[in-house]
Amino acid sequence: MDAVMLVEQIDPHGHRVLRQRFIGGGTECCVGRDISCAIVVEDEHAAPQHALLTLQEDGRVRVRDLGTRNGTRVDGNLVPADTGTVIEQGEIIVGRTRLRVRTRHTPIGQERIFRREFVRRHRTILAIAGVSACVAYGAFLQWLDAPPSMLRSILTAVLVVLGVIALWTGVWALATKLNHGSWHVRVHLTIVSIGAAICAWGYWVAGLVAFATQWSARVQTGVVIVGAAAFAALYLHLREATHYERRIVLALAGAATVVIGAVAWIIAIGVDDGNVGRVDLGPDVRLEARRVVPNRDIADYLAEVDKLKLAAGRERQKSLLNAPLADADD
Amino acid sequence: MKFARLVAALWLCGSVAGAVGQAADPAKPTQPAEAPAEGPVEVPTGPPPEEQAPAGDTIDEAAIDADIASQELSGEAQTRLDAARDAVVQIRGFFDTSESSAFHGSGFAVEDGRRIVTNYHVVAQAVLYPRQYRLEYLASDGRTGPLRVLAIDVRNDLAVVAADDLELPALKLRTEIPAQGERAWSIGFPLNLGLTITEGVANGLVENSFDQRIHYTGAINGGMSGGPALDTRGRVYGVNVSVITGRQLVGFVVPAKHIPALLARAKTPLDPSLSAQQLRLRVTGQVLAYENEVLEALPETAGTQSVRGYALPTQISKHAECSTVDEPSPHVRVRVETVSCWIPARIRVQGGVSVGGLSMQHRILQSEGLHPLQFERQVNDLAEAPARAGAAAHVAPFACRDALVSLDGFDARISTCVRQYRLFAGLYDFDVTVVGIDDTQLALVSRLTLQGVGFDSGERIVERYLGALQWTP
Repeated sequence: MDAVMLVEQIDPHGHRVLRQRFIGGGTECCVGRDISCAIVVEDEHAAPQHALLTLQEDGRVRVRDLGTRNGTRVDGNLVPADTGTVIEQGEIIVGRTRLRVRTRHTPIGQERIFRREFVRRHRTILAIAGVSACVAYGAFLQWLDAPPSMLRSILTAVLVVLGVIALWTGVWALATKLNHGSWHVRVHLTIVSIGAAICAWGYWVAGLVAFATQWSARVQTGVVIVGAAAFAALYLHLREATHYERRIVLALAGAATVVIGAVAWIIAIGVDDGNVGRVDLGPDVRLEARRVVPNRDIADYLAEVDKLKLAAGRERQKSLLNAPLADADD
Repeated sequence: MKFARLVAALWLCGSVAGAVGQAADPAKPTQPAEAPAEGPVEVPTGPPPEEQAPAGDTIDEAAIDADIASQELSGEAQTRLDAARDAVVQIRGFFDTSESSAFHGSGFAVEDGRRIVTNYHVVAQAVLYPRQYRLEYLASDGRTGPLRVLAIDVRNDLAVVAADDLELPALKLRTEIPAQGERAWSIGFPLNLGLTITEGVANGLVENSFDQRIHYTGAINGGMSGGPALDTRGRVYGVNVSVITGRQLVGFVVPAKHIPALLARAKTPLDPSLSAQQLRLRVTGQVLAYENEVLEALPETAGTQSVRGYALPTQISKHAECSTVDEPSPHVRVRVETVSCWIPARIRVQGGVSVGGLSMQHRILQSEGLHPLQFERQVNDLAEAPARAGAAAHVAPFACRDALVSLDGFDARISTCVRQYRLFAGLYDFDVTVVGIDDTQLALVSRLTLQGVGFDSGERIVERYLGALQWTP
């Protein structure tokens, strides 16, 4: 098998801007600003003839610096002027230009399963389902309020929901168009509408469950649902619309989720923790609803109320620590 | 008629609450963050004193004097003022070493002339923050000197103060309540304008008030608190205490019959070396004793009112009063019937902090064809109480417990919240909300609020309240 060398030029964003293949032992590839070079770089920090890559019979590559002022680096190390460096693969820096070299010695990973295929394949039906769920939730909320003119309220809610979804989808589709050249509207529509539907209906269902089980951590649960759905949606949007690596996308989606989670938390429990007028009634009541936990009797409950003396005392201690009483010198 | 009495009682509560901007609802008192203990508040009508035009030079002063002399009533007022002038002092409170007063009120000499009676709320800051505030008197002859507090009666808003070197001509007390329509005068230092007398009519004891207050139809303004209220014979029938702001000439006077007991207590005066904490405990103790009497007094018959199958406690305590209020419904297809009960008793422990209040509000919601989910939404919205009033300077945040509880004949979600007062560790606010959850067309939303009660006492009232709620189909 002939020796092969693949040279790629990488721009500062990590994107490939050039790829060239060289076949056969003894093939040479000159890198520099001179147009006689096989790879011409537009880099004022590179010499006209900067580096020479020689593909050896054994399939490896010898990298030599052609006596430049800035030198040539392979994986961060300066190439010795006389002997050069022999590599199987690596990143070569010429001036400020990055080149990636691969040979037959470079291991190739296993084929991975393409996970987004499901969304891609069923994007039409998924988008329709997601948008319907969102619209249904908007209409449901209006119906719950039983407004005087039901039709008008529901219509308004549906339009608002559709508008928000359209705006959000449009932004991501535009980003995808700029990065990839195609819009992927239905994919983004699927992500946003299913994410929003999970948030909305999930929060509502969590309320039901919280009442049935008398679960005190309902606010936290709601925030977790919203946070998880927001994280998944943002991650998928970013993967679809950008070239970023997985870990960068994870980090971006995570950071955005933390911000969204914080906002959801503030909305759910109120900004001012020290608000002395806030009365927490517990989960919303469901009339005649099935309940998992048995009722307490009064005596049992009054024993609970008795514990409030301690709890209120703790609140007072906290309050006194935050703002000590005037004239408390004794 | 009932509604009129409710309004009167509300006014009274609001007025006793003192320096508030408006008449207050017992359930939702307005509490300014840190009002100085100035007592009654300036009625916001009429031009400010500075703007009143002085008499012109062209007017014949002798003619005016003659005119005034011919007016019998004004002459009488002058006589009253002259007789009382030397017995009345202005009481001023200073912050730390400050030279300008932080608050001021009035007081008058009684007994041997060495004891000065005033309102508790005039000296409250100095009692509660003894290292921060000091009191001084300003006598009619211009003398000034330090005052110390000998005894306080938080419940009746009275205090006895004294100065070492001060001896004034004493006023005589009249311990009977004046008859309705009897002419009366109030003396004090309104708005720091100097000694002033106002003329009016005593209107007897206020109806439906647990605390005895004499209704005085005449002007009482901020700074006149603690000043004497005089009858036709120059005797003190009471102490100016408060006024309803935004109304006309509705003032209140503490009857003088509470003064002798306080003077007796002043014989063993408050130890000046008491710490702030000990003084606050004294105040708390007086509040708790008062509440024990007012809130926990069991009614002769346990009163309930039945609305659509629910038996709702009304006479939760002997002194509770109720009315059925016509409340606007939150939704056209929900009918609301409201029964409100309260105890018209409040005491003011600090500027902006009144305690001792109880109020109950039972609301029965009847769905008129709403889907259960829609009705549920209305019930939850209605149960979601407006935030309780209270400044972070005075109270700590609420701690809450909620649970589904089997009550007598029905199941309910009960949410109880309790918060403690920062200054008075023995006082708590309670807030209990009960929502019936058995029926998809009929719901009970009931709320009990207690303001500034002892924890055990509050717990007993909550128990009494929950025990009395009943559903009998």
